[in-house]
Amino acid sequence: MIAIQVSNLSKAYGFYRIFEDLSFDIYPGECFALFGPNGAGKTTLLRILSTLQAPSHGQFTIFGQNGVSQKEAVREIIMLIAHGSHLYDELSATENLQFALGLRGQSPAPSQIKRALDRTGIGPFADLKIRQFSAGMKKRLDFAKTILAQPQLLLLDEPYNALDHAGVVITNQLIQETLNRAGTVFMTTHDRDKATQIATRGGILKGGHLQLLSPEQLATDAVF
Amino acid sequence: MPFFKTIRWIVWKDLISEWRTRETMSSMLFFALIVILVFSFSFSMDQDAARQLIAGIIWVAFTFTGIIGLGKSFTSELQNDCLESLQMSPAPKGAIYLGKVAANFLFMLSVEILLFPLFVLFFNLDVIEAVGTLLIIFFLATLGLSAVGTLFSALTVQIRAREVMLPVLLLPLAVPVMIAAVEATRGALSGDPFSFYSQWIQLLTIFDIIFTVVSFWLFEFILDS
Repeated sequence: MIAIQVSNLSKAYGFYRIFEDLSFDIYPGECFALFGPNGAGKTTLLRILSTLQAPSHGQFTIFGQNGVSQKEAVREIIMLIAHGSHLYDELSATENLQFALGLRGQSPAPSQIKRALDRTGIGPFADLKIRQFSAGMKKRLDFAKTILAQPQLLLLDEPYNALDHAGVVITNQLIQETLNRAGTVFMTTHDRDKATQIATRGGILKGGHLQLLSPEQLATDAVF
Repeated sequence: MPFFKTIRWIVWKDLISEWRTRETMSSMLFFALIVILVFSFSFSMDQDAARQLIAGIIWVAFTFTGIIGLGKSFTSELQNDCLESLQMSPAPKGAIYLGKVAANFLFMLSVEILLFPLFVLFFNLDVIEAVGTLLIIFFLATLGLSAVGTLFSALTVQIRAREVMLPVLLLPLAVPVMIAAVEATRGALSGDPFSFYSQWIQLLTIFDIIFTVVSFWLFEFILDS
């Protein structure tokens, strides 16, 4: 089964076309890194794949489920880590995890939550309210959610932003673990050096069109 | 996805957040106190006029206080883009709606229960025999307001002028609830037999059912758009 199948996908705001006729397939166990200049439509594409926005034309499927007509089924198997942390300031790290997982119909045991928090380096701050967290700590807590939720498709918008070196290492480890269990990762990023350490395939979105990159091209400066 | 667990999680999150900040309740209480004081001084010279108008005064205070709470219900979801996480949550959207309605209902009813003794005090009301009926009226009218208010709070949250748009959209729809609540409250406070004003309580019940069912079905569309 194809993890992400995009067919002739277009998005326009009024007369302004963001991208046109994008078609590509991503398979289970792949980590796809999407590059491109500011305003190229990377985040828009990610938001469409995460069912937050509807495409203007075309269609896409996530593990065989139509992303427009079967949104609810898609939402059960994906998880998005975006610019906004999706965390509640007045809840603690532990409470935020309980709430986020609760809405996914999961109720992890306290020991599982502790393990996920320790794994991302947030363990000592488990009872601290999010309003006291830095941007990097929030990002790590987002990754703790993915450890517990184990989504089939992990969508990441600029995952390395705000992370220190240790955070980047943890992020790439967690991406690798997702791939090891036949999950799929789709990320948008400007940070080619960090992304190419883990990405198996990639593409450049520019001028409304997508240029797919092979693993060899990913490592070459010439295409960027 | 467990429907009732989702409702429970939303109520838990809203109550615990409010308990820690006391942001919504304190602004609701402060506004309501000002309304009570202003009306109390306005009618201090004429207690008879006050008794004639007290039901209306109570529901003006409760409705506008409720609008403050309803306005904050979804703006709190804007921080850290939490609204997005609700949008793309696999949880049933109807359960998220009912969770929000329950939390708003609890905030509004708590404020009403705290404020009503002040109305009794300032306007010298004799309510001993009507307390049970009044509680039923407060329960039904507050449920109606929170059912329709929660929907409009979600609808206006992404609009820049949401503080203006929420009352503009909500109040015309809330008029039937307010009229029924005022008439039933007036009947209960005047000591009229229950049968004299029971039709208003029936009307409140019907509005609650219609508003809740319609809003329940519309919420998914609103959250997704």
